Amino acid sequence: MEFVDYLQAVTDGVMQGAYYALIGIGFTLIFGVMNKINLAYAAAAFGGAYASLGVAALIGTGDDFGLPPLLMFLVSAVAAGLFAWVVYTICFRFTPDHYELATLMATVGAFFLIEEIAVHATDGEPMDFPEVLQGIIDDPMIEFSDAFAVRGDLLTIFLLALIAMGLLLTLLYRTRLGLATRAVAQQRTAAQLCGISVDRTNATTFIIAGVLGGLAGAMIGAAVGVLSPLLFVPLTVKGLIVTVMGGLGSIPGAIVAGLLVGGLENVFLALRGITERDMYVMLLLFLFLAFRPQGLFGKKVLRD
Amino acid sequence: MKRQIMLVAAGALAFTGTQSAAVSADREVHVAGFGAKSGVVRSFGVNTEAVMRAAAEKINKEGGIKLGDGTKGKVVVTFYDDRCKAEEGISVVRRIASGKAVVAIGPTCSNVAEPLFGVLQKKAGDASDTGLQFPIFTDTAIKGGLAKISEWAFRNVPNESQMYQSLFKWVKKTNPGFKSVFGGVEEDFAHSRFTWYQVMEKRAAEAGFEVKGRVKWLLNDTNFTTQVRQMKKAKADVISISSHPFTLCGVLKEMKRQRVKYKMLIGLTSSSSMETLRGCSRQAAGIIIPTSYAPVTPAAKEAAAGAAKYNGSADLHSAAAWENMFILKSVIEKTGVMAKADTVQADRRKIRDGLAALKSTGGLIGGIQRTKEGEAVKPYVYVHAQGKEWKILHDPRK
Repeated sequence: MEFVDYLQAVTDGVMQGAYYALIGIGFTLIFGVMNKINLAYAAAAFGGAYASLGVAALIGTGDDFGLPPLLMFLVSAVAAGLFAWVVYTICFRFTPDHYELATLMATVGAFFLIEEIAVHATDGEPMDFPEVLQGIIDDPMIEFSDAFAVRGDLLTIFLLALIAMGLLLTLLYRTRLGLATRAVAQQRTAAQLCGISVDRTNATTFIIAGVLGGLAGAMIGAAVGVLSPLLFVPLTVKGLIVTVMGGLGSIPGAIVAGLLVGGLENVFLALRGITERDMYVMLLLFLFLAFRPQGLFGKKVLRD
Repeated sequence: MKRQIMLVAAGALAFTGTQSAAVSADREVHVAGFGAKSGVVRSFGVNTEAVMRAAAEKINKEGGIKLGDGTKGKVVVTFYDDRCKAEEGISVVRRIASGKAVVAIGPTCSNVAEPLFGVLQKKAGDASDTGLQFPIFTDTAIKGGLAKISEWAFRNVPNESQMYQSLFKWVKKTNPGFKSVFGGVEEDFAHSRFTWYQVMEKRAAEAGFEVKGRVKWLLNDTNFTTQVRQMKKAKADVISISSHPFTLCGVLKEMKRQRVKYKMLIGLTSSSSMETLRGCSRQAAGIIIPTSYAPVTPAAKEAAAGAAKYNGSADLHSAAAWENMFILKSVIEKTGVMAKADTVQADRRKIRDGLAALKSTGGLIGGIQRTKEGEAVKPYVYVHAQGKEWKILHDPRK
């Protein structure tokens, strides 16, 4: 392979890394606020994407989707936000705080429940999902030379993901809701003493994370062109890797780690082939855990 | 007097009728089905169950199965989910074998079939072998040569090696200008991997094609850009993809984006299903796949309609379950199965022996030959995707 091939692989990978980042942000946001992992997060995200397909199928006729792709992204985001709230209510709201495994295991159950619902609703079949520029641009490939090209649809997804991340950061650092979220994340008891409702903040955090996840779910569907329950497990694993590498609770960390994992994954693929690709990604995770357990941007000290 | 005779005759007739109906109602031939009804291969189990139920309905409507003592029994189908997992498949079959079923049809996945056949008695009648003595007649699990594991295992699945040998020869003959083949393989799935390395690649080379290489991906991959770029660079005349519908669709969409040029596209047998057309009918247009099922005969059309009635679809795999049900009916009638509570094990043995003795059977698109190893040699056709349908491209028998 020539240099341009590696450049191409990195470019493709980094753009795909945008949706890894969005999934990672969801995990990290919830961990940051509640100090708990929601393993059903990616499942709820894909639940949103499936819901958008369902709405589109209800409206559409024949081969038409019934909704423009961007509107499907919106429906997916709303539906996933709703699913996330349901997951919060079932798995976190009434689960005992003192038994840490309870919420984790509850989210494992929720994961399989959502996955199996998707399987039963579709018989596990791959479902055609519209590409983001479908109906706008026929040929989304932007060719710079014979050896280097960029997928316009993926570039659009990448930019949309960056906008979503920007909006999230604005929400967290420029609004009262964000202030409350950060307050609960930093010192739950003190936040309560200041009159902040922890339950409401937690639920809102889940909904925000769910909305982001729904966007990611629809973006993945659009990037691959197909939705399948086969996506649930690998994307959950990728999201967790990104969260750990970025630093648990760090949103900038999840963004950087998502793009990094996406890019490196493609380089490993180009260098070592498909059968070894995931081995190197896992090795990278172990290296982080061994030598930089706090991740790229995580804090060294534990929460007080 | 005449009136009394009439009354007696009517009473006797009614009594006989009641007796006969009671016997029929009491005698049930239990056939178990098992396969994946959850997880990502759920559609396989759903389709097999639908086809089995439709076939049972037809058999029962036509009077049921004639038993060893001349009475008629009705077929009762029970279907179990093995989740496409070996340990669950074995557990399900042990459960089935502890009940009234005289035979089972399944499983969906080769990774279930292989270890499952291993727990069956290897040689029928071998007193030193305590393996399970229960006949299994597989409809779907397609990995080559599995039935020879046990004399209780039989399969009615197509021979991929033969089908692709014929297909590549036909492609070469009809398109002598096509020189090269490039492959794509779903590397972590037993069936697709086996089919590329042991079947497609070898048969293409035998037919005189230059195999320019292959790219690999995994069953749950979401990114095919790098692989498709390599595919594009190879500039092969024929692209042959050994991959199941989810990644097949992902790859085909990426090929379209990257404007990969090819003259012919060949796919994996298992992808000649509605799954592919639901996932990517536009991108799959023209893909050629050899298959042992197509709704081309009245019987095949009837099977398709039956499957649809039970919310399934007849395809390469599930249609075999229809054939299996009718083959079993014939075997049960020939071997004098009694279908009584105290003859279950003897009935199983009769069915096994009956299946082993078969040299040929009927099939939905033509006669099926049976081998000594319990495998089938099925007729096949080449289909290609057109719109939302698979249409016959060529029938090699003609």
